[in-house]
Formats: sequence, C-alpha cells, structure tokens
Amino acid sequence: MHLTPDERWELIEEIARRTLRFGNYKHTLKDAIGDFTVKPATGIPFAIAILFVFWSVFTSFAALMTDGFMIKIFDNHWLPWLQQNFPGGPGNWFYALMVDVGQRQGSAIVASESCFDSFGVLTSGLFLPIGVVLPAIMIFYLMLSLLEDIGYMPRLAVLIDTFLHKIGLHGYAIIPTILSLGCNVPGVEATRILETKKQRFMMMTLLAMFIPCGAQIGIMQKVIPQYIGFIMLYLFVGYFLYGFIMNKILPGKTPEILMDVPAYQKPLVKNISKKMWMRTAGFLREGVPFVMLGVLIINVLYIFGIIEFMATAMAPVFEGWFGVPRETAGPLIAALLRKDLAIAQLGAIEMTKYQMISAVVLVTIYFPCIATFVMMLKESGRAFLGSLLALMIVVFTYGGLLHLIWKLMGVA
Amino acid sequence: MRISIDRMKYNQEGVFVGINNELRLHLAGMGLRAGKKIKMITREPLKGPVVIQVDHASISLGIGIADKLIVEVDE
Amino acid sequence: MKVLLMGHPNVGKSVIFNRLTGANVVSSNYPGTTVDYTQGYMRVFDRDIEIMDVPGTFSLDAKDKAEEVAVKMLMENPDAKIICVIDTSKLERGLYLALEIIERGFPLVLALNMWDVALDKNIVIDLQKLEVILGIPVVPTVAISGEGISTLVEKLIDVEPVDILHISNTMKLSCLMTSPGCAGCKGC
Repeated sequence: MHLTPDERWELIEEIARRTLRFGNYKHTLKDAIGDFTVKPATGIPFAIAILFVFWSVFTSFAALMTDGFMIKIFDNHWLPWLQQNFPGGPGNWFYALMVDVGQRQGSAIVASESCFDSFGVLTSGLFLPIGVVLPAIMIFYLMLSLLEDIGYMPRLAVLIDTFLHKIGLHGYAIIPTILSLGCNVPGVEATRILETKKQRFMMMTLLAMFIPCGAQIGIMQKVIPQYIGFIMLYLFVGYFLYGFIMNKILPGKTPEILMDVPAYQKPLVKNISKKMWMRTAGFLREGVPFVMLGVLIINVLYIFGIIEFMATAMAPVFEGWFGVPRETAGPLIAALLRKDLAIAQLGAIEMTKYQMISAVVLVTIYFPCIATFVMMLKESGRAFLGSLLALMIVVFTYGGLLHLIWKLMGVA
Repeated sequence: MRISIDRMKYNQEGVFVGINNELRLHLAGMGLRAGKKIKMITREPLKGPVVIQVDHASISLGIGIADKLIVEVDE
Repeated sequence: MKVLLMGHPNVGKSVIFNRLTGANVVSSNYPGTTVDYTQGYMRVFDRDIEIMDVPGTFSLDAKDKAEEVAVKMLMENPDAKIICVIDTSKLERGLYLALEIIERGFPLVLALNMWDVALDKNIVIDLQKLEVILGIPVVPTVAISGEGISTLVEKLIDVEPVDILHISNTMKLSCLMTSPGCAGCKGC
C-alpha cells in the first residue's frame, strides 16, 4: 500500500512525537561559519579568496616540484643516461623514436638537451606526464578533495547559481566544471547531477570546449606561464558567452536549483588521501600510457610526412582563418589523444606571442581528447552529434574571433 | 500574513503553507511539508537562490521555486 | 540474497559501504558523487553477499539522473534487502525515504548514522520505541569509526518486510509496551 506524501508526513510527525526529543541546541561555531560562507556579503569575498588561494597553491607547488626537482632528475640524469646507453644511438630510427629525435642546427642534427625537446617515447613521453603533470594533478586533487570533504562545494554552488542560472544552468554546474579542471572525463560523467537533457547537453559541450584539464594547465604553466591568465579568461568568457547563446537557441526547460546544503564536516585525513590517491592513480593508469602512445604516433606521422602533408593542406584555414602557423597541424593531431602533449609540442614551434595564445585556445576548444570523447558518447548517446555540431561552430567563430581581435589590435 | 518564501527577511521564521505543482513530491522528500516551521537563512543578490532552514537541514531553492512557496508569517 | 545500500546524499553511505565490503569507494561531501552504483561483496557467516551502493536520493520521485538510477535499481531487484542509511540529526526526513521503501514491500534495516553528532546536539531518540513502531531493526551507527556496522549485518539476515498499515495501526495504540513487564499504563 502507498501513502500520499501528506499521509506519510502525518505518520512521521506522530512517530517523531513519540520517539524524538530535541534537547537544548546551542549555535556552534560550525553553524556560524556555515552562515558566514553562504551569505552573499561575506560569502562572495570568501569564495573569491578560496579560489585565489587554490590557484596560487596549485601553480606555485607545481612549478616548485617540476623546476626544482623533476627537471633535474630527467634532464641531468635520465636523458643523458639514455643518450649514452640506449642501443642504436643518433641516426638510428628506433633511437629517434624512443629517446631523441635530435635538434636541427644548420644542416646538422645535434642531441637534445632537455626532455622537453627530445620528444622520444621514453624521454618526453615520461617527462611530460610524470615530471610536469603529475605534481600539478596531485596538488589539484588534494585541494579539491579537501574542499569536497569539508563541505564547501554546495555553498559555492549556491553562491554561483545567480550567474550560472543566467546561462540556463544552475549552481550545481560548478561541480562538473571544477572536476573538469582536473580531468574532463569525470567532469562529463558528473553532468548527471543536472536534471534536464538540455542542461546536460549544454554542460557537456561547454566542458569539452572551454575547460582545460589539469594536465593541460600543468603544461601551460610550464611552457607559457605568462599567457595563462589571458587564455583562461578568454576560455571562461567563451563558456559564458556560448552558454548564453545555447540557452537561447535550444529548446527545453531550465530548472531551478533545489538542493540540500550539508553542514560543514571535519575532513578525515584518510578519506582525503585515499581520494587523492585514487584520482592520481587514474591519471597514472590512463594518462601516462596515452602520452607515450601519443609521442610514438606523432613521431611516426612526422617520419612518414603525413603531418607535413596535412599542414600544407590545411594551411589556408590555419593561417588565413585562425592566424596560427601551419605547423599547428601536428599539435592538433596530438590533441586528439592528449591536450597536455599538444601544448608541449606547441612550445617547440616558432611563433609570435599572439599566435601562441591563439594556438593554445584552438587546441583547447577544437575537439575533446579521446578519453573525453568516449565518455561524452557514453553519456549522451545520439545527442553527441549535436554536441559535435556546436563544437564546429564554436571553433570557427570563437577561434576566428581571436584572430580578428589580434588584427584589430594590429598584431596579427 | 501569507507571503512567498523569497519575500521573507533574514532570520525571519514562518510556517510553510504549501505548493501546488510537480515539485511537491520532491520537496516533501527534503522535509518541506505543510505546517512545518521554516527559517530564512539568506537570499543571494540578482535574483539568486534563497537558503532556508527546515528541521535541522539547510536547503537552497532557486528563486523560481521560492516565489511559489507560500508561508504564513507574523506581521 | 542481494543488499541495496540506500539513503540521502551525503550521509556517509559510501563509508558504510567501504566498511561492509573492505572496498575503496570514494565518498564526497556533495550529492551526485556516486552517480553510478558500486557493487561489492561482504562476507556473512561464510557466505558472500552481494551489496550495491545506490546513489543518494531524497525520495523515490526521481528528480535527476543519479536519483533515477536509484529508483531503477530498486525496481530491478524486487527481492533485495535494503539498508537505509539516514542522518540521525535529520531523523524525520530520513524516515520519509525509509517509509517510501517500506511501502514498496522491501525488507529494511534502518541505520541511524552520525549517531555521535546527534548526541552532541542533544538529540535523544527512543530506539526501542522506534523499533516497535516501525517493526524493523533500527541500528545506531558511526560509519567513520565503524560503530554499529557489525550489528547492522546481523540484523539484516532475518529482516522481513512490514506492512505500512501495521505501522500506522501501531501508532494508534496508546501503549506500545516497550519495556518488559509493562502492563499498559498508557504513559508512553
């Protein structure tokens, strides 16, 4: 037999009356902090401060680990050791694939001096994911897990709802968004917490286009730290701009936020460390082999001249429309596998500051990496085709817009 | 006096009267039922959501929901 | 036998799941983290029992996809036993979900989690009376320290479905005769 909600509540009130007593409840510090961080006058400055601290710790820790520690191991020990001991040596094709493709100096090819330049499966293929990305990913997940376990995220969702609601999402969309800043795959998966098809579709498309993952940010931090602020800003503006447009065009309802705001909790060190480890392990398991595979494929494509062919074929689009060098074709292919790898490759291409910014934006928005692609397909089914269409439109308009901005500024 | 939840003042208390749409079932699951005492915690600016307290739980409601929820408050 | 672990979001369900199975499910302090169910096995009297960690839900009227998964799992496992985990400090709201599951005819054990927090807040619950009224086992638990978890498993073995009518009828009795030797003073 089923009760109506009212009958059910009537019964519960009666049960509670007989079994439940509330003693004196004093307002604790925890409640006070709970109110402080959700009321706009105090909560919004607090949220900005939290995000600022998050970003500062993220970038400084990652830089410290990579520059102060990882680079020394990889460039001073690992690379020279492989260059000395790997069978074949310079000139051998297998050596070039695995260890060092070498640097062109005039007509001669000389040994690379860093794992960034050597572009071998065992050198760059390991250095990029472990030396650069791993520290970034670890510190990101440590802080994210901490915020999650304390119970801050729902409050952030309430505060940001005002803005996200204007583009047809609601505050809860901040969760997939922040998760995507670690890795787009769990971000896309988390779109399930949104209620309607329209919201899920929009969220997924926006994530795949405008949110760079932790691995990519980690490499950006290493290769182009001076432009990262502008690039992130351009991407976030795109997120809101295209969110706004999609919301206007797409049919479907935009539900209101309705959610529980749990009390703050004392975080458990065990839970946080476990969570950080599991997420990091996910990266080691799936990210590292993919970067190595990516390096291998890219090298092979270069050797057979396929990338050069594509670069020439696509040159009008690259140079004419997007205003980036035609060599961007290589990184864009790499980006299908791993965006971090693509950014690292961009770093090796000769170009102006503005072209670099355009190229990084292009790598970010033009297509999701294969892992995200598969997850989007799994989560959205047929709607995925629509996602691809939206993606195409955005790449050409928003990528082209940047070129236009440079032209207007007279720097293109 | 009967007003919608979004018009309650900070810390004001009221008794929930009801809502008449498909969200009723869901709200009931979150503890929001007719006759229940609720308290306004905060209201976000620019038509943002409200946060109310029901029993010992805080719930956040979008303004589009809050303006349909009626409470009985003292003058 | 199959066991479904259900409850509101953010009440320590995943922690209980880990305790029961020795698994490593990541829990987070916001709903929607467990969007898919997680499956595991727990060992009870030399028997492996399948247990599934269901996404948190406030009611069986699904609002988002995570909640839909929860309702669907319930439908697909009509012979499952349920452990319903609720936040002790929010007993009433938790009972709402528990009653909904009971109404659908599932045998259910109620875990009053975060029992320690409720004690700190001076919330007093008459467990014995609650058990008599509901006709099901009610177990206080503290998931993060493991308190009450083994009792939960013990009680689960013999739990039977109850009729919601039985519960409302029990409520009509003026005396619940909860203590032995009670002669029905009607004082309870």
